[in-house]
Amino acid sequence: MREELLREVEQFLYREARLLDERRFHEWLGLFTDDVRYWMGGRSTRYPPSSKAITVLDRERRQESEIEDELAILDETKMTLGGRIARLDTGMAWAEDPPSRTRHIIANIEVEPGDTASELKVYSNFLVYRTRAESEQDFYVGSRQDVLRCVDGAWKIARRKLVLDQNVLLPKNVSIFF
Amino acid sequence: MAADVTRLVDVENGRISRRIFIEREIYEQELERIFARCWLFLCHESQIPRAGDFFSTYMGEDPVLVVRDTEGQLRAFLNVCRHRGNRLCRADAGNAATFTCAYHGWTYRNTGQLVGVPFIKEAYYSALERERWGLVPVAQLESYKGLVFATFDPEAPPLGEYLGEMTWYLDAFFDRQEGGIEVVGGLHKWTMPCNWKLPAENFAGDGYHVTWSHLSAVRSGFGGDFRVGADPTGTALSPGKGHGVMLVGAHMIADPPAPEILAYEEKIFPEIVKRLGPRAGLFKPVAGTVFPNFSMLKPTSRTFRVWHPRGPDKTEVWAWVYVDTAAPPDVKEAVRLAGVRVFGPAGVFEQDDMDNWQACTQTGRGVVARRHPLNYEMGLGHERYDDDLKAWASEYRFSESNQRQFYQRWAQLMTAEKWAEITS
Repeated sequence: MREELLREVEQFLYREARLLDERRFHEWLGLFTDDVRYWMGGRSTRYPPSSKAITVLDRERRQESEIEDELAILDETKMTLGGRIARLDTGMAWAEDPPSRTRHIIANIEVEPGDTASELKVYSNFLVYRTRAESEQDFYVGSRQDVLRCVDGAWKIARRKLVLDQNVLLPKNVSIFF
Repeated sequence: MAADVTRLVDVENGRISRRIFIEREIYEQELERIFARCWLFLCHESQIPRAGDFFSTYMGEDPVLVVRDTEGQLRAFLNVCRHRGNRLCRADAGNAATFTCAYHGWTYRNTGQLVGVPFIKEAYYSALERERWGLVPVAQLESYKGLVFATFDPEAPPLGEYLGEMTWYLDAFFDRQEGGIEVVGGLHKWTMPCNWKLPAENFAGDGYHVTWSHLSAVRSGFGGDFRVGADPTGTALSPGKGHGVMLVGAHMIADPPAPEILAYEEKIFPEIVKRLGPRAGLFKPVAGTVFPNFSMLKPTSRTFRVWHPRGPDKTEVWAWVYVDTAAPPDVKEAVRLAGVRVFGPAGVFEQDDMDNWQACTQTGRGVVARRHPLNYEMGLGHERYDDDLKAWASEYRFSESNQRQFYQRWAQLMTAEKWAEITS
């Protein structure tokens, strides 16, 4: 049963990745619940508490970065995700015109029970290759934590937390979805 | 021998050579004559409120450590160990009494003083004059309404004089309410494959691009419709010294289209006029650039940012989101969300800018393309000094008058041997 569930979740995530790579964004949006929060954060560099590079003056000042406290890169609802897709459809979204060619590689999938019986907690890593125009290329690498919810017998994404591993982002923009 | 840039910038006719956006020799001269000389933005005081707080940044390509020392005084130094030139602090931010270099363990107090040198008795025979080998401080450091600036040039005029009339316009962005502004946790940092002057001049005066570059975002409901509406009210305004601001009419809605923000702005408008004077009742601020590389924006998203130069064809942008300290929590949250959704690397407005600025830079690699100057003639002869606004103002809302002022200042600085030669 567990093996079967794992396969089911994997296939769900792979199919989702294929929808993105094929730029079937309207179908992709259909995979989210209406109350989804789709969030992406970045990383800042802090000395760990054990570091001997500094002596801390004020112990109350947090040293390690809390990813959630950093300025998010994306913090979207289903409506704003829909707005982003509508923008792509205008024919004037220049960052994606001509469009990016992406390859979403989803790996390290782990499935855990969720907070309710109809939900699952799913961890995965992503490596997204983006190439565009003649020779542009970027790598977006990071982690994902999803909450999948069973709605009318089908899995939907009810929460997605993405963390990009880079501090100063090397890509010029984040004009694709994850 | 400095490059003669006078022939490359012709503001009288609105022609600017593409060489200034792509050539390495000119870029190196900019690092000396612009970035090692001008007042540059470091951080906002709300980022380092407590004794020991520090923030790592750059002035040009020089790494700089900004600290609030143990006594509470703001200081900034080259973030460089005096021994072998290693980068001293590798963290983006934090709190420290002392910093120790990872190479040989030289230790500096948060005042910059060198206090620890391993084996100083045995290996240096106690002859090393520690007091001479402290961190290299900036030449001048000043804060304006919480915005911390510094310059490496001891001859630079004081910050107030450098900003001139721009200080009043900074108030219109950052000092609208008692308590000024605060930054919304963290910042966006990313890489743009373009020359730093393209984003700087864009924020200084390019209202024109919004009507086409950003039309997709406007039509998808992310704001900015005041730019494409039928009402032509607005002006590009230069308060002098290369700084530029864009304004629209006081009656126009130029804010992120969130109900909380719109209601808040309507409520505080009379209070802003009372606080800043009648000039504030004549317009709403849109965007601006403090020469050379500190820019700000108010509608669609509340952001200020630094365009750090990283070579002639590369820029690192560090962007903050700011909000009035006095704003209620629901307004602050709406401002945060607008900041994330509309500007920043994934912002529905900003992502298209990077793509255009990249191509504007890269086509300049072609030697033939480089022979043809860029056109900056929009609104030539249609600007006048406005006594109420205390600045040069364009007649029509779209004009390249601010860009011409920006490049005129750039050429002055690139030509002058020292500050004393630079007029007005």
